[in-house]
Amino acid sequence: MIMLAKIGLGALGAVVMTGAYTFREGVIRVDVDEYRPNGDHVHLWVPAAAVPIVMHLVPEQELHKAMRDAREWMPVARVAAHELGRLPDSTLVEVQDGAEHVLISTHNGAIKIDVTDPQEAVHVVCPLETIEDVTEEIANARPGA
Amino acid sequence: MTRLDMRKSLKPVTQTALGIAAVLLFIPLSGRAQTTSGGDRWLHVRVVSTDAKGESVCVNVPLELAEKVLPAINKDQLHGGKVTIDKFDGNDVDFRAVLDAVRTSKDGEFVTVNGKDGEDVRVAKQGGFLVVHVTDNSGHLAHHHHLNKDGNKDGDEKKSDDSAASKASATPSVSHVEVRIPLSVVDALLSAGKDQLDLVAGLKALSAQGDTELVSVKDEENSVRVWVDSKNTNGTEGATR
Repeated sequence: MIMLAKIGLGALGAVVMTGAYTFREGVIRVDVDEYRPNGDHVHLWVPAAAVPIVMHLVPEQELHKAMRDAREWMPVARVAAHELGRLPDSTLVEVQDGAEHVLISTHNGAIKIDVTDPQEAVHVVCPLETIEDVTEEIANARPGA
Repeated sequence: MTRLDMRKSLKPVTQTALGIAAVLLFIPLSGRAQTTSGGDRWLHVRVVSTDAKGESVCVNVPLELAEKVLPAINKDQLHGGKVTIDKFDGNDVDFRAVLDAVRTSKDGEFVTVNGKDGEDVRVAKQGGFLVVHVTDNSGHLAHHHHLNKDGNKDGDEKKSDDSAASKASATPSVSHVEVRIPLSVVDALLSAGKDQLDLVAGLKALSAQGDTELVSVKDEENSVRVWVDSKNTNGTEGATR
């Protein structure tokens, strides 16, 4: 009975730890809602903590291909993500054109992109630290390494 | 083992787990509070259209972000935060010498053009700023079309368009453009050497300036404003956070 309780508590501890770690790292969110009959509604929540792990699982060949395509912009994205993370929550770009609205902002260490118009709404949230990690991972993937 | 003993044996595990969880949860908050600085300078751009759709664009860029990002871009003419202008034809005018002459001279108006068509241009030096002021009241007619919420012309106006070519709603268009560039920024931009502009040095010089309005454009249809201050908002309701 005591052993069972210990195992249960261990499992609970692991869940708490995992939950806390996930909250700390943040969540990548992609929400797409199309306002038409039979329109798509996509709601994707991915723990940002999983991204670096997944990056390690990506075949090196694919990583090198990504590196080739985006090599020159990786340092830019990494520096931008780092600097944005240092700043207070801010609106970076806001465009209002009639009923269309685009907002790019930073909030709680994440970059938020919100696009809304009468036809659809797209909301993307990505922790800046994840962008830093991913860009670093791609930048460090040297061909033949 | 009694229930009390069991509780005692489980307590350290629970405390440790909850302790670590609490630490993990609060790390980002404490870290952010320490690294946030209040001395950041922001470059703001605001474009507002006065048409019925009320189109507006607001951009807020932290200057320090631009200072750090620009050297990381190495593409085409831009390398290490410096842009090369190799095809610039200055018609044998030494712009460095001209700007040096402007910088060392007293405040005053250097160029005044009163065009026949109502286009006035004024270039002056005022308190460490190079000021260019252009007023265009050349008599072009601006037609005010009132759009409904769908972006279409109102029914009444459609009729008037057909009849009198909307002459009743036509008014003379006047546009004002004012550009104020701190001379320290010009100096910094030109510090890179021949045929190069040092953008990072220019941004640093701009950061050192106080709150400054750089560009202001106003005409019948749009207003554009570019300025630098220490706020991270554009001053518009939607952009304020």
